Amino acid sequence: MVAVAPRKNENSRPRVVAVSPDDGSAIDLRNPALAALLSWCVPGLGQFYQGRTHKGRLFMGAILGTFLAGLWLGGGKVVYASWKPGDTRWAYVCQAGAGLVALPALVQSMQLNGVARQPLFGSGFMAPPLAPGQYVSRSYADTLVRTDPDIDAEDFFDKPPLRQFRIDQVSIWHRRFGRWFEIGTLYTMLAGMLNLLVIYDAWAGPLGTPTDDDRKVHKKGTAA
Amino acid sequence: MMPLFAQLVDKVPGIFFGLPLVALASLIFAATHHEDPAEIRFAAIHWAVWLGGILGLVLAAVLLLGWMA
Repeated sequence: MVAVAPRKNENSRPRVVAVSPDDGSAIDLRNPALAALLSWCVPGLGQFYQGRTHKGRLFMGAILGTFLAGLWLGGGKVVYASWKPGDTRWAYVCQAGAGLVALPALVQSMQLNGVARQPLFGSGFMAPPLAPGQYVSRSYADTLVRTDPDIDAEDFFDKPPLRQFRIDQVSIWHRRFGRWFEIGTLYTMLAGMLNLLVIYDAWAGPLGTPTDDDRKVHKKGTAA
Repeated sequence: MMPLFAQLVDKVPGIFFGLPLVALASLIFAATHHEDPAEIRFAAIHWAVWLGGILGLVLAAVLLLGWMA
Protein backbone atom coordinates (compact mmCIF):
# COMPACT_ATOMS: atom_id res chain seq x y z
CA MET A 1 0.00 0.00 0.00
CA VAL A 2 1.37 3.41 -0.93
CA ALA A 3 0.44 6.59 0.91
CA VAL A 4 1.49 10.21 0.83
CA ALA A 5 2.75 11.56 4.17
CA PRO A 6 3.05 15.27 4.90
CA ARG A 7 6.52 16.62 5.51
CA LYS A 8 7.40 18.80 8.50
CA ASN A 9 8.14 21.72 6.19
CA GLU A 10 4.93 22.59 4.37
CA ASN A 11 6.80 24.02 1.39
CA SER A 12 8.63 20.77 0.58
CA ARG A 13 7.22 17.91 -1.49
CA PRO A 14 5.15 15.35 0.44
CA ARG A 15 6.85 12.03 1.05
CA VAL A 16 5.66 8.91 -0.72
CA VAL A 17 5.69 5.97 1.68
CA ALA A 18 4.69 2.34 1.47
CA VAL A 19 3.56 0.21 4.37
CA SER A 20 5.52 -2.90 5.23
CA PRO A 21 3.18 -5.93 5.19
CA ASP A 22 5.30 -7.56 7.93
CA ASP A 23 5.22 -5.04 10.77
CA GLY A 24 3.20 -2.13 9.38
CA SER A 25 6.17 0.25 9.44
CA ALA A 26 6.51 3.01 6.86
CA ILE A 27 8.94 2.60 3.98
CA ASP A 28 10.12 5.90 2.57
CA LEU A 29 10.10 5.48 -1.23
CA ARG A 30 11.75 8.92 -1.78
CA ASN A 31 11.30 9.52 -5.54
CA PRO A 32 9.54 6.32 -6.71
CA ALA A 33 9.99 7.03 -10.43
CA LEU A 34 13.72 7.60 -10.02
CA ALA A 35 14.01 4.51 -7.84
CA ALA A 36 12.22 2.44 -10.49
CA LEU A 37 14.53 3.78 -13.21
CA LEU A 38 17.60 3.04 -11.08
CA SER A 39 16.34 -0.51 -10.48
CA TRP A 40 15.98 -1.02 -14.20
CA CYS A 41 19.47 0.35 -14.87
CA VAL A 42 21.07 -1.88 -12.23
CA PRO A 43 18.82 -4.41 -10.44
CA GLY A 44 18.55 -3.43 -6.79
CA LEU A 45 20.05 0.05 -7.18
CA GLY A 46 16.66 1.67 -6.65
CA GLN A 47 16.33 -0.16 -3.33
CA PHE A 48 19.81 1.11 -2.33
CA TYR A 49 18.67 4.64 -3.22
CA GLN A 50 15.70 4.17 -0.87
CA GLY A 51 17.92 2.91 1.95
CA ARG A 52 16.61 -0.65 1.69
CA THR A 53 20.12 -2.07 1.51
CA HIS A 54 19.26 -5.67 2.41
CA LYS A 55 16.81 -6.00 -0.45
CA GLY A 56 19.12 -4.06 -2.75
CA ARG A 57 21.95 -6.52 -2.13
CA LEU A 58 19.58 -9.46 -2.53
CA PHE A 59 18.13 -8.26 -5.83
CA MET A 60 21.46 -7.17 -7.23
CA GLY A 61 23.14 -10.45 -6.42
CA ALA A 62 20.28 -12.68 -7.54
CA ILE A 63 19.32 -10.94 -10.79
CA LEU A 64 22.79 -9.98 -11.97
CA GLY A 65 24.20 -13.32 -10.88
CA THR A 66 21.60 -15.23 -12.88
CA PHE A 67 22.07 -12.99 -15.92
CA LEU A 68 25.83 -13.36 -15.89
CA ALA A 69 25.55 -17.10 -15.25
CA GLY A 70 23.31 -17.40 -18.31
CA LEU A 71 25.72 -15.34 -20.38
CA TRP A 72 28.59 -17.60 -19.32
CA LEU A 73 26.66 -20.84 -19.92
CA GLY A 74 25.82 -19.65 -23.43
CA GLY A 75 29.42 -18.83 -24.26
CA GLY A 76 28.72 -15.09 -24.24
CA LYS A 77 26.50 -15.42 -27.33
CA VAL A 78 22.97 -15.60 -25.92
CA VAL A 79 22.36 -11.88 -25.43
CA TYR A 80 22.02 -10.10 -28.75
CA ALA A 81 19.46 -7.92 -30.52
CA SER A 82 18.36 -8.93 -33.99
CA TRP A 83 15.27 -8.05 -35.99
CA LYS A 84 16.23 -9.75 -39.25
CA PRO A 85 13.61 -11.98 -40.89
CA GLY A 86 14.48 -15.53 -39.89
CA ASP A 87 16.33 -14.48 -36.75
CA THR A 88 14.07 -12.14 -34.82
CA ARG A 89 15.48 -12.36 -31.32
CA TRP A 90 12.35 -12.06 -29.17
CA ALA A 91 14.37 -13.29 -26.20
CA TYR A 92 16.10 -9.90 -26.13
CA VAL A 93 12.81 -8.22 -25.22
CA CYS A 94 12.94 -10.19 -21.93
CA GLN A 95 16.71 -9.86 -21.50
CA ALA A 96 16.45 -6.07 -21.80
CA GLY A 97 14.52 -6.08 -18.52
CA ALA A 98 17.83 -6.66 -16.75
CA GLY A 99 18.88 -3.13 -17.64
CA LEU A 100 22.19 -1.62 -18.68
CA VAL A 101 23.92 -4.97 -18.61
CA ALA A 102 21.94 -5.91 -21.74
CA LEU A 103 22.31 -2.53 -23.45
CA PRO A 104 25.59 -3.31 -25.29
CA ALA A 105 23.64 -5.79 -27.42
CA LEU A 106 21.48 -2.98 -28.78
CA VAL A 107 24.49 -0.79 -29.49
CA GLN A 108 26.31 -3.65 -31.22
CA SER A 109 23.29 -4.41 -33.40
CA MET A 110 22.88 -0.78 -34.47
CA GLN A 111 26.58 -0.52 -35.31
CA LEU A 112 26.73 -3.81 -37.21
CA ASN A 113 23.63 -3.06 -39.27
CA GLY A 114 24.49 0.62 -39.75
CA VAL A 115 26.99 2.45 -41.89
CA ALA A 116 29.98 1.14 -39.92
CA ARG A 117 29.20 -2.53 -40.76
CA GLN A 118 31.10 -3.59 -37.67
CA PRO A 119 30.27 -3.74 -33.97
CA LEU A 120 31.45 -1.03 -31.60
CA PHE A 121 33.31 -3.54 -29.45
CA GLY A 122 35.66 -5.07 -32.00
CA SER A 123 35.62 -8.57 -30.57
CA GLY A 124 31.92 -8.91 -31.35
CA PHE A 125 30.78 -9.21 -27.73
CA MET A 126 26.95 -9.26 -27.69
CA ALA A 127 26.97 -8.66 -31.46
CA PRO A 128 24.15 -10.32 -33.40
CA PRO A 129 25.06 -13.34 -35.53
CA LEU A 130 25.76 -12.74 -39.19
CA ALA A 131 23.16 -13.92 -41.67
CA PRO A 132 23.90 -15.37 -45.12
CA GLY A 133 24.57 -12.52 -47.52
CA GLN A 134 25.24 -9.95 -44.82
CA TYR A 135 27.88 -7.33 -45.53
CA VAL A 136 30.51 -6.51 -42.91
CA SER A 137 33.66 -4.42 -42.81
CA ARG A 138 36.98 -6.02 -43.73
CA SER A 139 38.37 -5.49 -40.23
CA TYR A 140 35.42 -7.27 -38.57
CA ALA A 141 35.66 -10.12 -41.09
CA ASP A 142 39.37 -10.48 -40.30
CA THR A 143 38.61 -10.42 -36.56
CA LEU A 144 36.07 -13.21 -36.94
CA VAL A 145 38.44 -15.34 -39.00
CA ARG A 146 41.15 -14.79 -36.40
CA THR A 147 39.06 -15.43 -33.27
CA ASP A 148 36.29 -17.83 -34.30
CA PRO A 149 37.46 -21.43 -34.90
CA ASP A 150 34.39 -22.22 -37.02
CA ILE A 151 34.84 -19.33 -39.47
CA ASP A 152 37.43 -19.30 -42.26
CA ALA A 153 38.40 -16.73 -44.84
CA GLU A 154 36.53 -18.84 -47.44
CA ASP A 155 33.28 -18.09 -45.61
CA PHE A 156 33.39 -14.53 -46.97
CA PHE A 157 32.96 -13.23 -50.49
CA ASP A 158 35.25 -10.31 -51.21
CA LYS A 159 33.06 -7.35 -52.15
CA PRO A 160 35.32 -4.29 -51.85
CA PRO A 161 35.31 -2.29 -49.65
CA LEU A 162 33.27 -4.81 -47.65
CA ARG A 163 33.05 -8.57 -47.27
CA GLN A 164 29.91 -10.65 -47.63
CA PHE A 165 29.24 -13.53 -45.25
CA ARG A 166 28.31 -16.78 -46.98
CA ILE A 167 26.96 -18.96 -44.18
CA ASP A 168 24.72 -18.70 -41.12
CA GLN A 169 26.43 -17.80 -37.86
CA VAL A 170 23.53 -18.63 -35.53
CA SER A 171 23.62 -22.23 -36.78
CA ILE A 172 27.31 -22.32 -35.94
CA TRP A 173 26.54 -21.17 -32.42
CA HIS A 174 23.78 -23.77 -31.95
CA ARG A 175 26.08 -26.49 -33.23
CA ARG A 176 28.92 -25.38 -30.97
CA PHE A 177 26.97 -24.84 -27.74
CA GLY A 178 24.08 -27.29 -28.13
CA ARG A 179 21.62 -27.17 -25.26
CA TRP A 180 23.81 -24.65 -23.38
CA PHE A 181 22.65 -21.96 -25.80
CA GLU A 182 19.04 -22.56 -24.79
CA ILE A 183 19.85 -22.83 -21.09
CA GLY A 184 21.85 -19.60 -21.19
CA THR A 185 19.02 -17.88 -23.04
CA LEU A 186 16.52 -19.08 -20.45
CA TYR A 187 18.65 -17.83 -17.54
CA THR A 188 19.12 -14.37 -19.04
CA MET A 189 15.46 -14.09 -20.04
CA LEU A 190 14.26 -15.02 -16.57
CA ALA A 191 16.66 -12.55 -14.94
CA GLY A 192 15.27 -9.78 -17.14
CA MET A 193 11.64 -10.68 -16.52
CA LEU A 194 12.03 -10.99 -12.75
CA ASN A 195 13.69 -7.56 -12.67
CA LEU A 196 10.30 -6.16 -13.65
CA LEU A 197 9.03 -7.22 -10.22
CA VAL A 198 12.08 -5.55 -8.64
CA ILE A 199 11.28 -2.35 -10.53
CA TYR A 200 7.71 -2.48 -9.23
CA ASP A 201 9.01 -3.01 -5.68
CA ALA A 202 11.15 0.13 -6.01
CA TRP A 203 8.23 2.11 -7.39
CA ALA A 204 5.44 1.02 -5.03
CA GLY A 205 7.00 -0.96 -2.19
CA PRO A 206 6.31 -4.60 -1.30
CA LEU A 207 3.19 -6.15 -2.79
CA GLY A 208 2.06 -7.76 0.45
CA THR A 209 -0.12 -10.81 0.73
CA PRO A 210 -3.57 -10.98 2.33
CA THR A 211 -3.53 -12.75 5.67
CA ASP A 212 -6.22 -15.17 6.83
CA ASP A 213 -7.73 -12.38 8.97
CA ASP A 214 -7.89 -10.10 5.91
CA ARG A 215 -9.69 -12.84 3.97
CA LYS A 216 -12.23 -13.34 6.80
CA VAL A 217 -12.93 -9.58 6.99
CA HIS A 218 -13.36 -9.47 3.20
CA LYS A 219 -15.76 -12.44 3.26
CA LYS A 220 -17.84 -10.83 6.05
CA GLY A 221 -17.95 -7.62 4.05
CA THR A 222 -19.17 -9.30 0.84
CA ALA A 223 -21.68 -11.48 2.74
CA ALA A 224 -23.31 -8.45 4.45
CA MET B 1 8.12 -48.91 -16.91
CA MET B 2 11.71 -48.78 -18.22
CA PRO B 3 10.99 -46.36 -21.05
CA LEU B 4 9.28 -44.03 -18.56
CA PHE B 5 12.31 -44.25 -16.26
CA ALA B 6 14.62 -43.59 -19.18
CA GLN B 7 12.58 -40.52 -20.11
CA LEU B 8 12.76 -39.29 -16.53
CA VAL B 9 16.55 -39.74 -16.37
CA ASP B 10 16.86 -37.93 -19.69
CA LYS B 11 15.12 -34.94 -18.08
CA VAL B 12 17.60 -34.86 -15.15
CA PRO B 13 20.06 -32.35 -16.68
CA GLY B 14 17.18 -30.00 -17.45
CA ILE B 15 15.78 -30.40 -13.94
CA PHE B 16 19.26 -29.80 -12.49
CA PHE B 17 19.65 -26.51 -14.34
CA GLY B 18 16.03 -25.61 -13.76
CA LEU B 19 16.30 -25.78 -9.96
CA PRO B 20 18.34 -22.54 -9.65
CA LEU B 21 15.68 -20.80 -11.71
CA VAL B 22 12.96 -22.07 -9.36
CA ALA B 23 15.05 -20.83 -6.43
CA LEU B 24 15.56 -17.45 -8.10
CA ALA B 25 11.88 -17.01 -8.88
CA SER B 26 10.95 -18.02 -5.32
CA LEU B 27 13.43 -15.56 -3.84
CA ILE B 28 12.29 -12.66 -6.02
CA PHE B 29 8.59 -13.40 -5.44
CA ALA B 30 9.20 -13.55 -1.68
CA ALA B 31 11.34 -10.41 -1.57
CA THR B 32 8.82 -8.38 -3.56
CA HIS B 33 6.02 -9.40 -1.18
CA HIS B 34 7.83 -8.79 2.10
CA GLU B 35 10.27 -6.38 3.72
CA ASP B 36 11.57 -8.22 6.78
CA PRO B 37 14.55 -10.54 6.02
CA ALA B 38 13.18 -13.35 8.17
CA GLU B 39 9.80 -13.14 6.42
CA ILE B 40 11.53 -13.12 3.04
CA ARG B 41 13.42 -16.31 3.91
CA PHE B 42 10.28 -18.09 5.10
CA ALA B 43 8.26 -16.93 2.10
CA ALA B 44 11.01 -17.98 -0.31
CA ILE B 45 10.85 -21.54 1.00
CA HIS B 46 7.04 -21.39 0.79
CA TRP B 47 7.18 -20.23 -2.83
CA ALA B 48 9.86 -22.79 -3.72
CA VAL B 49 7.71 -25.63 -2.46
CA TRP B 50 4.71 -24.36 -4.42
CA LEU B 51 6.64 -23.69 -7.64
CA GLY B 52 8.55 -26.95 -7.40
CA GLY B 53 5.37 -28.86 -6.73
CA ILE B 54 3.44 -27.28 -9.58
CA LEU B 55 6.28 -27.65 -12.08
CA GLY B 56 6.89 -31.20 -10.87
CA LEU B 57 3.24 -32.06 -11.52
CA VAL B 58 3.46 -30.53 -14.98
CA LEU B 59 6.61 -32.53 -15.71
CA ALA B 60 4.99 -35.72 -14.43
CA ALA B 61 1.95 -35.11 -16.64
CA VAL B 62 4.14 -34.47 -19.69
CA LEU B 63 6.14 -37.66 -19.05
CA LEU B 64 2.98 -39.70 -18.56
CA LEU B 65 1.39 -38.38 -21.74
CA GLY B 66 4.60 -39.01 -23.64
CA TRP B 67 4.75 -42.58 -22.33
CA MET B 68 1.12 -43.22 -23.18
CA ALA B 69 1.43 -41.81 -26.70
